[in-house]
Amino acid sequence: MSASRQRRPVVLLRPIPGTSVIHELWAGTKLIVVLAISVLLVFYPGWMMIGLMAALVGAAAWLAHIPRGALPSIPWWIWMLLLFGAVTAALGGGQPVLHLWSWDFEAGGLLKFLRFTALAIVLLAVGAMVSWTTNVADVAPAIATLGRPLRLLRIPVDDWAVVLALALRAFPMLIDEFRLLYAARRLRPRPVEADGRAKRRRWLTEMVDLLAAGITVALRRADEMGDAITARGGTGQIAAAPSRPRRADWVALSICAAVCALAIVLEVGVLG
Amino acid sequence: MGALSAALAIVSVVVPFAGGLSLLVTVPMGLLGYRYRLRVLLAATFAASAIGFVITGISGFMVVLNCAYVGGMTGIIKRRGGGTPLVIAVSAVAGVLNGLLIIAALTVLVRLRTLTLDAITANIDGMLNAISAMPMFRESAEQTRVITGTILRNWPVLIMVNSIFSIMLVSLVGWWALSRVLERLRGIPDVHKLEAVTESEPVAPLPVRLSQARFRYPGADHDALLPLSLTIESGEHVAVTGANGSGKTTLMLLLCGRPPTSGRIERPGAIGLGQLGGTAVVMQHPESQVLGTRVADDVVWGLPPGTHTDVPGLLGEVGLSGMEERDTGGLSGGELQRLAVAAALARQPSVLIADEITSMVDQQGRESLLGVLSGLSDRHEMALVHITHYNNEAEIADRVVNLSDSVDNMVMVGSAAPPAPTAVPMPHTAPDSGAPVLQLDGVGHVYGSGTPWAKSALRDVSFTVNEGDGVLIHGGNGSGKSTLAWIMAGLTTPTTGSCLVRGRPADENVGDVAIAFQAARLQLLRSTVDLEVASAAGFSPWDTGRVVSALATVGLDGSLARRRVDQLSGGQMRRVVIAGLLARRPQALILDEPLAGMDAESQRGLLRLLIDLRRDTGLTVVVISHDFAGMEELCPRILHLENGMVASAFRATGAAGGPS
Repeated sequence: MSASRQRRPVVLLRPIPGTSVIHELWAGTKLIVVLAISVLLVFYPGWMMIGLMAALVGAAAWLAHIPRGALPSIPWWIWMLLLFGAVTAALGGGQPVLHLWSWDFEAGGLLKFLRFTALAIVLLAVGAMVSWTTNVADVAPAIATLGRPLRLLRIPVDDWAVVLALALRAFPMLIDEFRLLYAARRLRPRPVEADGRAKRRRWLTEMVDLLAAGITVALRRADEMGDAITARGGTGQIAAAPSRPRRADWVALSICAAVCALAIVLEVGVLG
Repeated sequence: MGALSAALAIVSVVVPFAGGLSLLVTVPMGLLGYRYRLRVLLAATFAASAIGFVITGISGFMVVLNCAYVGGMTGIIKRRGGGTPLVIAVSAVAGVLNGLLIIAALTVLVRLRTLTLDAITANIDGMLNAISAMPMFRESAEQTRVITGTILRNWPVLIMVNSIFSIMLVSLVGWWALSRVLERLRGIPDVHKLEAVTESEPVAPLPVRLSQARFRYPGADHDALLPLSLTIESGEHVAVTGANGSGKTTLMLLLCGRPPTSGRIERPGAIGLGQLGGTAVVMQHPESQVLGTRVADDVVWGLPPGTHTDVPGLLGEVGLSGMEERDTGGLSGGELQRLAVAAALARQPSVLIADEITSMVDQQGRESLLGVLSGLSDRHEMALVHITHYNNEAEIADRVVNLSDSVDNMVMVGSAAPPAPTAVPMPHTAPDSGAPVLQLDGVGHVYGSGTPWAKSALRDVSFTVNEGDGVLIHGGNGSGKSTLAWIMAGLTTPTTGSCLVRGRPADENVGDVAIAFQAARLQLLRSTVDLEVASAAGFSPWDTGRVVSALATVGLDGSLARRRVDQLSGGQMRRVVIAGLLARRPQALILDEPLAGMDAESQRGLLRLLIDLRRDTGLTVVVISHDFAGMEELCPRILHLENGMVASAFRATGAAGGPS
């Protein structure tokens, strides 16, 4: 039971303690950058683009002092899956052919698989960067600011921001409650069932029971929060400090725009 | 109403992420679609997808969006009274639309499509290559290659079929689960109390004059509040006391704008609930009172845009100076309630109603909260109405209104100070000679070990609980007592040290040590009492005799067996949980804050029951609590935890000793 054997858990919606240039950026800036990178990667998933974006994310991670420990432990079955994928893809062969000593190795399949995996990893890492460096309290006000133009289309952006802020507030509380629910289930004896049909049936009823219990708890919480909202005279301000970009944000946005532009030029220029 | 639906939207936003099962994600969204208008659904979808985006980027966003769409659709069909055929039809159409959307997107995103298809082809080719190495499969492998090749070349067909199939499947599963969950939810009482009133006149809630005001809930057979005459003027500190059911909370509702059933309430102007200069309310449950994620944000939450607020000044007044940037998630119950008071004061109210705000707070927090309340009506131009069931809290008021005068079962809760290690007389001494049941040796626990979020909860805790022992693990907020309880029950594996149950590791024998959580409702997983007890104990629900005898051990009548769990009182819920746990004959019973949130009568009853159980059946009991009140008889041994360490261990009977 040594500390090193423990798996590192996935930590959601909690920034890494401490501060850095990236932590200090306006949440809206980070959301814009993530959106831009995701869209670019989806449009041009080439090696060049993946590499450039990975470098950008890596640089940001270095600036934000993100330690290796922030990454959750990867369960063994994901490694197995990746290995299986890599092996089958490698066997698929195709161009280009690598000449290793006396061997001819058709690397095309493997390369395609690697590119696809790299794309998925970079997309995930971009999202994780936001969650690692942003205080959740800043997200909703930033979205309210970013969404201001949408008000012209009569979209209730402010209401949405309030809902988002409340959801983020309730998130850890409800996660705790679900952890408890799961623990309560673990404490129960496992019923032994002879045939698979009865087992499936029981599993389904159990799922409904759990869902019902979870939703009951959440509804009760929502009722209480609803009361608290009424007691405060409805919705209004959600943040004490104004939420808007500063000079550092314009710098960050310019850097990101420059890298994206470079990537597009390279991608379109090289590949035609 | 808008506020309530906003809060309800939260539910459906969070549940998906916790549930884990993406098929069932659709249910909460469905619930929303069933109960509310499209606007609420849209807001929830937006919030959920934004959270998805923040957590996992674009992929999480897409998943959530898809689920919201399917769930919302099923919910709306349910509301309109449609049946399964309609769900199939609509989901087929939705599947086609979704397929078209993806095809359109992939037609534009040529490169992504090529890469995805190439990657799939490479994998399949590789697998087939491997298979064709064996001569007997060569032919079928070649055929498969041709077939998959054709399929992948006609990718739009593949995507369309896949889209229709998966959307229909998800819709049907969602529909099935939603129907059942809705059925289950029908009996849940609506606990929301406050209603926003629309008022046109200027805000002026004081002085308020009640003359023979009486209130009866629709459909009830007795008055919730007996006729009451009362005047509240500005600058007054009024304490309202009374037993459970004497109408304390009902009085709060009347002051907040519910019209009385008979009698009159007169005010010079509007009540202005939550408005500047109006009426402010702080309620019981600390976590639900605080709406902001950051302390400073919470103080201004809900104020009209552009209002200037002296946040540091308000926080200073409630003793939270310098905590503006702290996350509200890490505050203790007492701090949360003081923050809620600060937020109420930010509205410069004419009257502040504090409704049992100390009942879910530990001793220390209670004292600091009372300190905040005591001078409020002098420092501000306002009246303070303090509703409480604690005697000593009413003493600091200028005037006490006791609603129990006409009700005969007047019971007030005394709050006990920690017993001195030596001077407490004990009527009953636990046998010390029993075999060890729980052995903790150098137990330490770190949450998020190895990550930047690592937080040490326990350090080097060693003690032994013997058979028949009664141990109270006492500690304040953040002392690690709950972590310790989870470790003893085997639910958490400690990072260092070992926890043995009868010589075997606790975490490999979950269920040997029973644990009753503070939130009893969360532990009741089945719909009715008999199903619940049977499931927790592991016997057949048709075995009525055993269910009834299990209920009898906790002093509940067998007639409760068919009752739905949502119709039980808090005390009954706790007893049903204990009944289910005890029916499995656990090695020990751990109780986490067993008395929290109950009125005095139920508290005494439950304590009596536990004391009898321990004496008569030799049950080993470990209680986790921040309070000492009345525990001496149940738990003669006390361990005091502080910052994750055993600070002191003593017997309530006499001789103090170190950790055994």
